Amino acid sequence: MKKGFYLRLALDGMRKNKRLYLPYLLTCGGMVMMFYILYSLAYSPVVRDMRGGDTMAVVLLLGTVVITVFALLFMLYTNSFLARRRNREFGLYNVLGMNKRNLSRILAWETLLSALISILGGLAGGLLFSKLAELFLTKMAGGSTGFSFTVAPRSIAAAFLFFGAIFALLLLVSLTRVGVLRPLDLLKSEAAGEKPPKANWVLALVGLGLLGGAYYLAVTIESPLTALFIFFAAVLMVIVATYLLFIAGSVTLCRLLQKNKKYYYKSAHFVSVSSMAFRMKRNGAGLASICILATMVLVMLSSTSCLYFGGENAIRGMAPYDMTAALRYDGPEKCSEQTLAELADLAEAVSGGRAGDPITITDMVFGGYFENGSLDIAGYSRFLEVSSSPSVLEHIRGVYLLPLRDLDRLTGESHALEPGQALIWSSGDAYKYDTLLIQGCAPIQVAGTLKELPFRLTTEETLVTTYCVFIPDWEERAGELQAFLESLGDEMALPDTEQACFFDLPGLGEEEQLRIAGELRQALLDRMDHDDRAWTGFTTTARADLRSSFFSMNGSLFFLGIILSIVFIAAAALIIYYKQLSEGYEDQRRFGIMQKVGMTAGEIKSAVDSQVLTVFFAPLLMSGLHLSFAFPFVKKLIRLFGVTNTPLLILTSVLCFLIFGAFYVFVYRRTARAYIAIVSEGEERR
Amino acid sequence: MSILEVHDLRKVYTSRFGTQQVEALRRVNFSVEKGEYVAIMGESGSGKTTLLNLLAALDKPTGGKVLLDGVDLSTLPEKDVAAFRRDQLGFVFQEFNLLDTFTLEDNIYLPLVLAGKSPREMAGRLEPLAKWLGIDGLLKKYPYEVSGGQKQRAAAARALITEPKLLLADEPTGALDSRSTDELLSLFAQVNRHGQTIVMVTHSVKAASHATRVLFIRDGEVFHQLYRGRDTNEQLYQKISDTLTVLATGGEAR
Repeated sequence: MKKGFYLRLALDGMRKNKRLYLPYLLTCGGMVMMFYILYSLAYSPVVRDMRGGDTMAVVLLLGTVVITVFALLFMLYTNSFLARRRNREFGLYNVLGMNKRNLSRILAWETLLSALISILGGLAGGLLFSKLAELFLTKMAGGSTGFSFTVAPRSIAAAFLFFGAIFALLLLVSLTRVGVLRPLDLLKSEAAGEKPPKANWVLALVGLGLLGGAYYLAVTIESPLTALFIFFAAVLMVIVATYLLFIAGSVTLCRLLQKNKKYYYKSAHFVSVSSMAFRMKRNGAGLASICILATMVLVMLSSTSCLYFGGENAIRGMAPYDMTAALRYDGPEKCSEQTLAELADLAEAVSGGRAGDPITITDMVFGGYFENGSLDIAGYSRFLEVSSSPSVLEHIRGVYLLPLRDLDRLTGESHALEPGQALIWSSGDAYKYDTLLIQGCAPIQVAGTLKELPFRLTTEETLVTTYCVFIPDWEERAGELQAFLESLGDEMALPDTEQACFFDLPGLGEEEQLRIAGELRQALLDRMDHDDRAWTGFTTTARADLRSSFFSMNGSLFFLGIILSIVFIAAAALIIYYKQLSEGYEDQRRFGIMQKVGMTAGEIKSAVDSQVLTVFFAPLLMSGLHLSFAFPFVKKLIRLFGVTNTPLLILTSVLCFLIFGAFYVFVYRRTARAYIAIVSEGEERR
Repeated sequence: MSILEVHDLRKVYTSRFGTQQVEALRRVNFSVEKGEYVAIMGESGSGKTTLLNLLAALDKPTGGKVLLDGVDLSTLPEKDVAAFRRDQLGFVFQEFNLLDTFTLEDNIYLPLVLAGKSPREMAGRLEPLAKWLGIDGLLKKYPYEVSGGQKQRAAAARALITEPKLLLADEPTGALDSRSTDELLSLFAQVNRHGQTIVMVTHSVKAASHATRVLFIRDGEVFHQLYRGRDTNEQLYQKISDTLTVLATGGEAR
């Protein structure tokens, strides 16, 4: 009977506080569900067998780590909120003669029940939705899946293990809390007199300074990879600044407004400003958390959706043709027109005539530091090391040195140039000097500039300004450059010499294209074995191949972004809900007093509404601000993935903000009902 | 001239599901002259708080009417009631009802701010009042930082700063120790001598003995009343005690 007694008390306690417990259990269950889905997908054979499945598995597994850590932190937070609300009840039990051992037993039952309900419920949801998530993920990553339904025992075990551990930790925390509290404190803890909030100028200013500094860093950050450390510093600064501003800055602002008598002693501001200070003191931390969560959701969704939707464009930029094959040489003198023609023939052969006329070029590629018409190529690799500042980057040039005969052949025109003359195409502003002086090579006279190239370059190479220089005496010049760069003795400084062949495969499906790419590759591998070849190596690139690896990466990132966003949004919604509850209990009392001293119900409602709106929408606005300052960084970050579409990023950012904002308003409206219910309860009681 | 007239006032409470009706007040008639200090006495549940709520227009009567300075409160539109209450009435409550988010000063200013007065005028009104009430050194403090007596004096200042026609007090000494009670009662007597009309609801004999007239309510009706006449506080105290004894032992004296 005894055992049943404590179980019943625990059940009763949860039922009586269902306003608090139900959302808590739902959120915990939701986290278990998302954990199960991600974990089972990470180990799912369907994902493993997809092209790029390994990358996806890693991304998904990373997601489960994030969810587990977040669940731990978040459940600690909500648990402490629940405990504060229930201290009074435990104090009463204690006064009525229950000792701490008895209380601990109730707590143990409660935790066990919460754990069972949320883990089992979450797993049920996870089993139900994992198939849907699998379909969704494979669709996004460009794969296919059957309709077989699977249960992953391993993931179920993992969910029990991780979330069981979290609940055990929560129990431990609650037990310690009950252990140190005295019964009178327990009874009083909710009604303790509240000290008026003090304006903390120092913290407010530090917050403002940190925010300004972080924004400055975010905007001026150059390369996201080399500045990864700075980026994390900026993120930390934003987080700290958000907390400081919400906790100290808001109170200081209210106090400042109170000092201005003309503003303060107006009936529209009087009540709002003074209670705002108290509200912010109580809610600053919670609101800052909402703001941080919202910012994470927004940055994550806007960047991953931009990566996903900008994917096709990026792939076309990275691989301008369906298929590319390039032969590499260790010197220009070994290139021959005959080899190039053979490469084109091979392309036609493997594609079964679908390739049309393949484009073939011979080129030598190198880079240098360009200033006033002269290019310093000796220290190029050194420049790259320090090239983080835009002033240096502006001067870096990539140069394609091509024989004029390629241009003639591809355009069908005939350009009559003297040796020592050149036609130059530039990916940036048109070349404006009369000569091009390249170190180690005779001066080149610019006979004209080209507006268009007869072939497409990859966009990666247009990140820095690229010149294509067509010269009639290619062999000699290339030879001179090769000799000069070899004389430097720096492996990194050596130019790349290649003969390449590009072609499209119109009307062929991805599978076909991949098959052709395989054949081309095999044919070139066979030739590698012959000693009579002049080239030293080769590369083949199929756009279809690139696409599948690109989308398995970006698709799973987007998928993860969505899943994590759902989790974060649910967490933010729960915090908002709890805030509404605690605000409701506070306002219940004030409503009555204000009515008695002569405020109309309408005046009170509008005063309270304006405060509540400010409190709940400040985090949303702040996160919007964070998002706009993160924009330059996000832009650079997704460029690493090959997506350079800025208008698309603006579009996805704005859309994400609007969708998130609409969702936020929805959550606010729903939870506002709880607030109104509590406040009107108080009115009934009066 | 009567400043407050109560005619045939009746209030019936209906329980939530309408199954039970409780008659809190029936046939209550009395009037208060300008400058009077009236105490309304009765046991818990006798209907005195209901009466005060009706006088303050916080609640609507089931029947009868309340006239304040000739204005029938029940005819006032809902939106004017709060302004009326704010401008014509002052309140002092047992539990002080100070807003804990305001300093004492701001609590006292509240009705004036709602009435749209300028900061300069508010300060002009507060200064002499605060001095007189002995709270001029506490104005920047918050309610939780001062004693019960000081809170009640601040509440009194809030009630008086609008110069109301009628000061309504609901058990104003109920939460005070005896010293603070004495201070507050002599304060009320002093305010009354300056011409302020006061209606106080109480079940403390001591509080009632400071009034110029005492009404007794039992079971929702005015049962008896005593005039001070030339009695001292002590003599009135004795009379009140006697009346209460009669009431308690079930005398039907009218």
